[in-house]
Amino acid sequence: MKYALYAGCVSKGGCPELYPAATKVADRLGIELEELTDVGCNGAGVLPQYISDPINARTFAKAEKLGLPMMTICSTCQGVMTQANHRLKGHPAYREEINREYLAEEGLEYQGTLEIKHLLWVLFEDLGIEELKSKIQRPLTGLKISPFYGCYLRRPPEIMMPTPETKQRSTYLDQLIGILGAEFTDIAGKGKCCGFPILQASEENSLAMAARHTGEAKGKGADAMVTPCPLCHLNLDGNQHRAEAQVGAKIGLPILHLPQFVGLALGFDAAEMNLQRHIVPTGPVAAKVEMLS
Amino acid sequence: MQVTFDVYRKDSGPDAQPWRSTYDVDLPEHATVTDGLLKIRDEIDGTLSFRASCLRGYCGECLTKIGRGNRFACTARVAAVGASGPIVLNPVRVVPVIKDLVFDWDAFMWNKIKAVKPWLEAEDVDDGETVISDAAMKDLRKTMSCYYCGLCDEGCTALPEDFHFLGPAALTKAYRFVFDPRDTQTSERLKILERPKGIWDCVHCFEASEHCPRGIEPTERIIAMRDLAFKTGITNDRVARHHMSFAASVKESGWVDEGRLAVESEGLTNIPGLIKLLPTAMKAVARGKAPIPYLHPKRPGADRIKRIFEKGEQNAK
Amino acid sequence: MRDGTEVPEFDVLVIGGGASGLRAAIAARHAGASVALISKVHPLRTNTGVSQGGCNAPLGPDDSAESFAEDTLLAGDGLCDPDVVRTFTQEAGRDVIWAERMGAPFNRDPAGRLDRRAFGSNSRKRTCYADDRTGYIVLQVLHEQFQRAQIPSFEEWFVTSLAMDDGVCVGALALGHRSAKLDAFTARAVILATGGFTRAYLPSTASLGTTGDGQSLAYLAGASLMDMEMVQFHPTVFPGGPGLLITEAVLDEGGQIIDASGEPISDARGIPRHAMCMLTSGAEGDGAGAVSVDLRPIGRERILERLPQTYELVRAVAELDVTKEPVPIRPAAHRPMGGIETSATGETSLAGLFAVGECSCSGLNGAGRLAGNTLTEALVFGRRVGEAAARYAREVPKSGFAASQLSDETRRLEALTGHDSSADSLGQIQLQLRHLMDEKVGLVRDAAGLQGAIDQIRDLRDRHERLRVKNPSLAYNYELTTYLEVGAMLNCAEAVALAAQFRTESRGAHRRADFPSRDDDSWGAHTVVKLVQGAPQLEKRPLTAVR
Repeated sequence: MKYALYAGCVSKGGCPELYPAATKVADRLGIELEELTDVGCNGAGVLPQYISDPINARTFAKAEKLGLPMMTICSTCQGVMTQANHRLKGHPAYREEINREYLAEEGLEYQGTLEIKHLLWVLFEDLGIEELKSKIQRPLTGLKISPFYGCYLRRPPEIMMPTPETKQRSTYLDQLIGILGAEFTDIAGKGKCCGFPILQASEENSLAMAARHTGEAKGKGADAMVTPCPLCHLNLDGNQHRAEAQVGAKIGLPILHLPQFVGLALGFDAAEMNLQRHIVPTGPVAAKVEMLS
Repeated sequence: MQVTFDVYRKDSGPDAQPWRSTYDVDLPEHATVTDGLLKIRDEIDGTLSFRASCLRGYCGECLTKIGRGNRFACTARVAAVGASGPIVLNPVRVVPVIKDLVFDWDAFMWNKIKAVKPWLEAEDVDDGETVISDAAMKDLRKTMSCYYCGLCDEGCTALPEDFHFLGPAALTKAYRFVFDPRDTQTSERLKILERPKGIWDCVHCFEASEHCPRGIEPTERIIAMRDLAFKTGITNDRVARHHMSFAASVKESGWVDEGRLAVESEGLTNIPGLIKLLPTAMKAVARGKAPIPYLHPKRPGADRIKRIFEKGEQNAK
Repeated sequence: MRDGTEVPEFDVLVIGGGASGLRAAIAARHAGASVALISKVHPLRTNTGVSQGGCNAPLGPDDSAESFAEDTLLAGDGLCDPDVVRTFTQEAGRDVIWAERMGAPFNRDPAGRLDRRAFGSNSRKRTCYADDRTGYIVLQVLHEQFQRAQIPSFEEWFVTSLAMDDGVCVGALALGHRSAKLDAFTARAVILATGGFTRAYLPSTASLGTTGDGQSLAYLAGASLMDMEMVQFHPTVFPGGPGLLITEAVLDEGGQIIDASGEPISDARGIPRHAMCMLTSGAEGDGAGAVSVDLRPIGRERILERLPQTYELVRAVAELDVTKEPVPIRPAAHRPMGGIETSATGETSLAGLFAVGECSCSGLNGAGRLAGNTLTEALVFGRRVGEAAARYAREVPKSGFAASQLSDETRRLEALTGHDSSADSLGQIQLQLRHLMDEKVGLVRDAAGLQGAIDQIRDLRDRHERLRVKNPSLAYNYELTTYLEVGAMLNCAEAVALAAQFRTESRGAHRRADFPSRDDDSWGAHTVVKLVQGAPQLEKRPLTAVR
């Protein structure tokens, strides 16, 4: 299993704990990664399509040239690029125009064959659950974990889960929690928006959303929340204290990145997964994990 | 067949408390939930209030929460929805209820649509029909196949937090005019739509598109208006600062400089705004995760990204 | 009010928020009148949305107002008023173009001009369309312009009676569902645009509220109803549930009418609706007819592109996939040609009262409406009647009506409310009415059946009068408004049956098994029903004497 890794921006920027956790876990699981180092930000839903589609076409062309499928570690990267890929694959004339206008002068051409998968999907669809289970060294027994997917990973469903086989993607995170031995603590908001995209336009609503979902999980007794999206992490973890102030209630729910969560079950300790870098103290959940060894 | 309905009830009036009524009704095999409600009202309990009009699923009036989902009562077969027990009826969430299943469509939708100036402002020409390609009209027909069913607004993530957000239905109606080639008020319309509670308050979670029964893709419509605003110049200052900063750092370095983004979004001279960022910034520094603004390495390939960026902007003009 | 009470006062009051009412309101406003609209449902929920196929306009290079008029007259089977038809066909083009200029995204031909499809018995391609949602899209455009004109709109208000002062209409009394009270509206001119009454039939293509309210209000106030026996049956209706209209446009796209063995029925295209209905009536009985409409020859892709509404509704209502299977059909009541007798500018026999659209009968449609004329009629006559009402309002002095009318009406409604322990119900009365209309006053009628219908209707009316509305509230009391709607349907049904009994010939949509031929000598005339001292009186109105 080898992939071209698209690391995104936040995994080395605002959430620098994510990138090393992801590479360590991939390595342990035998997922070979060749990082695309000279590709640009996919736009994250901020840049307009007339700019982000060409930038993404270039990224896809480079991965295609390596002859590898591409892997992401961020729901937003996955969603934005899958939508761009859908447009480029589905409209040959559009793709040709972009190739001609933007990629040709670099000697690149996107042929429309690239497959892009989030690490979460790779675990289920390529690695396989049996293989994952065989690598678990520390089942996270007794740990109550709530999932938070991040909108971009599941919607629009006809693009993100286009076939009957891939429909299951809307439950992978739920399933993973149980597979790693933890107690699945469901929340109504697991597929909703974390609020991050409107932090600038409407701070109040953004923080209200963050408070709502972390509050719901905490209220159900969750020890932590796990998310495959570092942008969600920025709002749910990074802004949790602001969300608390706005709603006037303490929440204090640690938020784990997906690779950190998997890594803990594989036997990495909290420091190796850089849990100390989070804004909301991860001490309590790290301690619980420690006791399981 | 015998069908049991379990229905939400509430009198009109500010202090009225809800209760529930149960009805057992004998209905034909192919009956719909609206058939059931009509029979209840016309033969059993005339105090039950609910809306219905076309009876065939094309006017949007009878949106109801049936069981766990929201749908039109007039196309929901009782044999299907009542297969495993009583049919539980409730008003849709997020909307103030007036009486029983009659909820406040004015607040939910009609007033928001009025707010986007929902009429064409075309040039006053007296010379036959507009000569225009069907391709342009086709997209408008798709947008106008919206029958104001409310499912997109009901599924919206932002509306439960902020009922005053215009919402996908009203914004899709706005799109119909913004992208009508015959309309002459595009920039005025965008200005209105860029104000708080408008297009920038959408979290583009795609719930609206997922919920639309007609494939109108309201989320994509909102995104199209945002992209157009980006092209013509964002008039919402906060959003403009954020988007311009994002674009600038991608253009210069190939990836996002989050530290710079946080600071420039507030505005370099916005002292209260910058002070507001301090607690988060300090915590981040303490955890060793604060990206230092402007000390942001260029990625390999940044020049190529910049080239594409500039070309894209050029082509868009 | 004469006693000085403040009530809403307008030059022109439009009752009914569908296409005709909205167009009339806009026109009256642009003519300088102060206007208000009352509608019992929100305008975007009105029955106009049923209309799918398109709206006629003689815009093609091979077309003309004259050809259009000829086709209209032919469909009307000798009962149209030629002057009204001429005016209509001359103005149709400009009014449909107005709708386009106001934003209607009609389909275009390759040259970018309004495309026109073949439709029904139009001899030329003259039906402008917007996919197969023309009615709904035109309705939206009208509502957009209505909002632009900032006309006060009383939505979910139910008009319980017209206010009359010495034979002149001076306004209306209406119950606000949300305000939960009865209010009086003063107006110099009232325009009824309340739509048809075919909810009185099962199956039909009508919405829940298509109950003939306007016809009944006018009738009870003393106005005359004309040609009520002329009810257009739509030939291709799926009979399940309430009845689902399948637009005839499917035939022009390549669909076929097939018989029980799957063979196409020839001669099924290009003929007037009443003739089409004879073809599709096939074997009656349980409605699972021997006749079907087969869209498969059109091809899945083209169906989804050109007929998306048809695909969707047949799926939802009939649970059938038109790309894979034929749909059983039979004729069913669609919309009336008859209604409140009006002039070419909407004036009724009562001063101050106008009518437009499906509730009116101006002489345009005669004994059969040309397919595709309905929406154009709403656009053309909506404008003409709105302008006429505004002109009238300018010329008449203000008159109030007595405050006692409001209190009388309140008492009348209260008297309808009370305890009722009978086993009878509005539901049963309606169901029996609907069945009897379909059986005895349907596609083909005869003397015995019609007399039976009249007797049964009167019996239902007695039962209706004995019923009491048990819900005492005024807030969203749909039991009360349904009670009033059933009363309206009964009045319309009686008028239809009486007129059908009266006209002893077959003409257009009115078929008598016992009088199968057209009889111009005795029956080159309209039928008129009017209440005289509380009893319906019938008379013939010669064709040339249409006001």
